[in-house]
Amino acid sequence: MPRPPLTVSLALAALALVLAAATLPAVGQTPKYGGVLATSPISAPPSLSPHEEATIAVVASASVCFNNLVYFDPQKKQESAATVVPELAERWSWQDGSRTLVFFLRKGVKWHDGKPFTSQDVKYTFDMVRGAPDAKGKLRVNPRKLWYENVEAIEAPDPYTVAFRLKRPQPALLLMLASGYSPVYPAHVPPAEFRTRCVGTGPFKLKDHRPGEYVEFVKNPDYFVKGRPYMDGVKVVFIKDRSTQIAALQAGQLDVAGSGWNKANAETAMKGAAGLVVIEADGGTNDNVLVNFKRPPFTDVRVRRALNLALDRAAYVKGPRQGGASLGGAMLPPPAGVWGLSPADLAKLPGTGDPTRQKTEAKRLLAEAGFGPAKPLKVAVSTRAVAIYVDTASWMVDQLQQVGIDATLEQIETGVWHPKMTRRDYQIALNVTGVGVDDPDANLVENFKCGSPRNYSDYCSEEIDRMIAEQSQMTDRAARLKLVNDIDRRLQLDGARPILGWGKQYYAMWPHVKNYVPHENSIYNNSRMQDIWLDKR
Amino acid sequence: MAESAAAVDVAMSSLGPEARPRRSALWRFVRRKPLGAAGGLLMIVLALLALFAGVLATHNPVRTDSAHTLAPPSAEFWLGTDNLGRDVWSRVVHGSRISLLVGVTSTLLGAVVGGLVGLLSGYVGGKTDLLSQRVMDAMQALPVLVLALVMAAALGPSLTNAIIAISVPIIPRAARVIRASVLTIRELPYIEAARALGVRHGRIAFLHILPNTFGPFVVLITAQLGGAILVEAALSFLGLGIPEPYPSWGRMLSVAAAEYAQKAPWLVIWPGLAISLAVFGTNLLGDALRDTLDPRLRGV
Repeated sequence: MPRPPLTVSLALAALALVLAAATLPAVGQTPKYGGVLATSPISAPPSLSPHEEATIAVVASASVCFNNLVYFDPQKKQESAATVVPELAERWSWQDGSRTLVFFLRKGVKWHDGKPFTSQDVKYTFDMVRGAPDAKGKLRVNPRKLWYENVEAIEAPDPYTVAFRLKRPQPALLLMLASGYSPVYPAHVPPAEFRTRCVGTGPFKLKDHRPGEYVEFVKNPDYFVKGRPYMDGVKVVFIKDRSTQIAALQAGQLDVAGSGWNKANAETAMKGAAGLVVIEADGGTNDNVLVNFKRPPFTDVRVRRALNLALDRAAYVKGPRQGGASLGGAMLPPPAGVWGLSPADLAKLPGTGDPTRQKTEAKRLLAEAGFGPAKPLKVAVSTRAVAIYVDTASWMVDQLQQVGIDATLEQIETGVWHPKMTRRDYQIALNVTGVGVDDPDANLVENFKCGSPRNYSDYCSEEIDRMIAEQSQMTDRAARLKLVNDIDRRLQLDGARPILGWGKQYYAMWPHVKNYVPHENSIYNNSRMQDIWLDKR
Repeated sequence: MAESAAAVDVAMSSLGPEARPRRSALWRFVRRKPLGAAGGLLMIVLALLALFAGVLATHNPVRTDSAHTLAPPSAEFWLGTDNLGRDVWSRVVHGSRISLLVGVTSTLLGAVVGGLVGLLSGYVGGKTDLLSQRVMDAMQALPVLVLALVMAAALGPSLTNAIIAISVPIIPRAARVIRASVLTIRELPYIEAARALGVRHGRIAFLHILPNTFGPFVVLITAQLGGAILVEAALSFLGLGIPEPYPSWGRMLSVAAAEYAQKAPWLVIWPGLAISLAVFGTNLLGDALRDTLDPRLRGV
C-alpha cells in the first residue's frame, strides 16, 4: 500500500490534535459577555418557520429566536432521553402509565413583543402541528405531523400546566418535543408571519432579515435564563458555495462554518488558516438509495437484493466520502447513535463482505430475475444536483455498471427534487436523509412506515409497521433496542431503502468561539446558542 | 430550355477557380500561415485523440477506485486521479470525444441551418428578408452563453440537447455571413445570365450561388468551433451539459474539481489545458483560413 503524502499525514495529525483540543472543556475560563457571532448555514433557508420546513438551513437560522418545552442539552454531545433538559417547561411528569405527559411551565416568561407566555401557546402550537380538527392555527406544509399521531388531546387546565394525552404509551414523545423542529409558537401571531420574521421567547430577538442574504438577531435582555445569552447578537449569513464559505471563514468574516462540508473541505479550510479548529462529529445524516417499490423490476426482491449487494460499502466510505463516513443501517450506529446495529451485525449485511463475491452473487440474482448481458437491466439513478449527492451517485452508477446494470445518472434541480420524490417520479435515487431525532419513533416512522409522506420508496410491510408500533410503547430500554435492531436488520435484508452509510460532519471555527458543541447523533438540535461565548477582548 | 440550362452549368463549372495541384496549395498555406498550420495540426492531434480514445485511455473513464482517490500523477495514473479515484488521463482522452463531437456537430448544425436561412433570406429578399433578419436580430441580441443556457435548462441535460442548445446561437451568425455573400453573388452577371436563360430559382440558389459561399462558410465554421467547444465546457461546468459520470472537459472542471483544486491541482490543470488548446487551435486555424479565403484580405 502506498504511503500517504506528507501533506495529508500532516493535515490528519493536525486534525487529530485539534479534535483533542476542541473537545476539552474550557477549564477555568470565565465566560465573557459581548460580541456578535457570524455563521453560515448549508444554504439560504426557504423561510424562518421551523414547523413548516424540513431543512437544517431553517433550524440553524431561526433556533436562536425560539424555545421548546424541553430541549436536548446543548453541552452534551450525544442526545438521548437522559440529556433532555427543561426550557419553557420547568419540569414534567409521566402519568397514567405513560399515557399522559404533563408539563409545568415557567412563570413570567414574555414573548419578544412583550405579551406573556402561557399554556395556551403550547396547546395552540401542538394542536396545529398534529393537525387537530379544532386547531386554531394551520400550517401551509406540515412535515412532522406524523411525530404527533399518537397524541389524542392537549389540555391546558391552567395558564402554567399543559397535558399531552396519548392514545397509547409513548415514552419517546418527550424526545420529539426536545427537537429543534419543535419550538413553541405564540398563539397571537399568525403562523404565516414566521416565514419572514419571528416572535419567540428565545435568547435572541430578530433584528433584520433579508431573504437570500442574511438574518440578524440581537440579545434578548428579558431572556428567562438569568445571565444568558453571553453574546450581543448572532448574524447568519447565507453563502451558497462551499469554497466561498471557506474563504469567508479564513478571512475572519465568519466565526463558525461547516454545515454540509466534507472532510476535504475541512482540510482545505485548515490549510489556509493557522489556528482554525475543526470538530468532526457524526451528526446523524445518512446516504441512502431510494428504490421505487411501485415500479417493476424493483417489485422483485431478487433485483432489490442484487442492487444492495452491488454497492460496496467500504468503497463508499473511502471513495465519495473520502473516509468521512461510517457503516450503518437505518438507525445511526453506536457509539454516536443510541439505537443502531452493532459492528458484528453490520458485517453480515448486504454490501459489506468481499466485493468480488458480492458482485458475483448480484449478477446471479439479476440473471435469475431475467437480466443479463443480452438483456441488461436499464436504470436511471436520480439525484439532487448538489455536489455531495452527485459525487456519491456517480460512484453508484459505476458500481451498478460493474454488475451489468445499464445505469445512467439523472440530476434533478433542488427546487423539484422533493416534489419529484414525493410524487414517486423516479426509478431509483441517491438521497441524503438527516435524522431530526435519533429515536426509532422519529426515524423509522417517518421513513419506513406504510403511507408516510417521507417514505419515498413506498416500502410497506404490515409486519414492520406492527413492530414499529410495538417498540414505541416499550419502557425497557434493552428490550426496545433488541426489537429495533431486529427491525433494522429486516429493513436492510429487504432492501427497503439501502443505507450506504452515515456521513460525518465537519464544523470549522476560530478558537475564540467557546462552548460550541456539535452533537453526535443529530444536526438539528443544538442551534440555540445561548451558552456560546466569544473569547475576544 | 432544360438542355441549354445544363449547357450553362457545364460552362460555369469549367470557368470556376483554376485547378492548382492540391499539395502545393496546402504547402503554400503552411508557408504563409505557419500559425494557422500549427492550429490545424493541433486540431488533427485532438481529432486523433478522440478517434483512438479507446486505445489511448489506460483505464475505464467512469470506473471509480476507492483505493486511489486524489492520487497524484504516477506511472499507473499518468495525470493523477479525481476524488472518486477515476483516472484523469483516461477522462481527458474520452472527454475529447464529447467536446469535439458536441463542438463539431453543433457548429455544423448551426451553420447549415443558419446558412439555409441566410441563402433564402438573401436570395428571395423583400419581406422574407426583412422578417427573417429581424428574427435573427432578436436571436443575436442575446449573448451566446445565455441563449445556450436557456435552451439547455429547458431541454434538460443530455448529449443531444447540449448539441441543440449550442447550435441555436450559431444560426443567426451563420445566416448573417451567408446572406451577405448571397447579396453580392446574386448581382453578379453569371447569375443574371442564368436567370435570363430561365433557370429555376431553386437551381440558381443551390447550384450557382451556394457553392460560391463555401469560402465564408468554412471560415464561419472554424471561427465558431472554438466558441462552441467553450460553450459546451461552460454548460457542462454548470451541470447542464453531458450528465455525470461521463467525462467532458467542462464537467471535469466543475464543482468537485474546484473544491479539491488546492489539494489536487491536476484536477483543474489538465482539462483546463485541453479546453485552452482546442480553442486556441481552432482560433488559429480559423484566422488563417479567413485571411486565405477572404478575397479582401488575400495578399495582405
